[in-house]
Amino acid sequence: MSNKEKYDLIFINSFEVKENELPSLRYQDVDTWDSIGHVSMIAELEDVFDIMLEMDDILDFSSYSKGIDILKKYGIKL
Amino acid sequence: MVSSSRLLSGKTAVITGCNRGIGKAILDNYATNGATIFACVRKEEKEFSNHIRILSEKNAVNIIPIYFDARNKEEMKQGVKKIKDSKKQIDILVNNSGIGHNAHFMMSSLESLKEVFDVNFIAPFLFTQYIAKIMVRQKFGNIINISSTAALDASEGKSIYGASKAALICITKIMASELKAFGIRANSIAPGLTDTDMLSFLPKEFIVNSREQKEIIQPSEIADTALFLASDASAQITGQVIRVEGGK
Repeated sequence: MSNKEKYDLIFINSFEVKENELPSLRYQDVDTWDSIGHVSMIAELEDVFDIMLEMDDILDFSSYSKGIDILKKYGIKL
Repeated sequence: MVSSSRLLSGKTAVITGCNRGIGKAILDNYATNGATIFACVRKEEKEFSNHIRILSEKNAVNIIPIYFDARNKEEMKQGVKKIKDSKKQIDILVNNSGIGHNAHFMMSSLESLKEVFDVNFIAPFLFTQYIAKIMVRQKFGNIINISSTAALDASEGKSIYGASKAALICITKIMASELKAFGIRANSIAPGLTDTDMLSFLPKEFIVNSREQKEIIQPSEIADTALFLASDASAQITGQVIRVEGGK
């Protein structure tokens, strides 16, 4: 599975959204992406990609696309 | 010891500051009760290495030492990475590391204030953020923060220490509320005067004036409470502070 597929799957499973919704998905766009959903999604990302996100990045992780930029800082190319 | 049965069999605990005093008593207690333990201490010491070797052999448990200075964020992250890399589930986190401080409010320096809050509040705050992510994925976990009766009694000479431990109690209650959704519970233990190295540094005037505590508590008695909170016997207890001081 590619990094992009892993990334997408985390979003799909964490927020119960469809793949075609991902590119425009932003924090709190759906009920499932609330603060609790955010914490779960970050924990899953850290585990799957074996990284430890800085708190500034966790707070800055405001959308699906922003997350792609943030992961680049940790050497994860999607 | 509460029971000769192994109440923590199959569980994994992370304990900070467990090379002496209350932390060491909790380490011994949890090992006796069958827990796998990540024993977090500031630096490697021969005496402690021997202690955990003997303890693990005697109880047929795995004790993994993790070294980091709680005030050094990068060292702490490396410690967390070692714990994460083990891929073990983390059932229990005991934040025990702490330093004492005794001074009149009007003689308490900013430097001391920062140092004590760094160790007694900021370090367990950050460390719990890291470890709680593992617990969030698991959808279960148990956090135990070692506070102090000084946080509750506004004892003379304890302005900095008491405030740092009060902050720890506050954040424990917030953790209990916010992490409940992930099946994680959080509680504090507030020991009274306990027979540790920290007590030996306490000026006699503060022991006499502190409260009308009848006797000095033994670290093993705090550890028994930590065992209860770590075990399934306390499964419905969260967001609480348990005083362990033997009554007034």
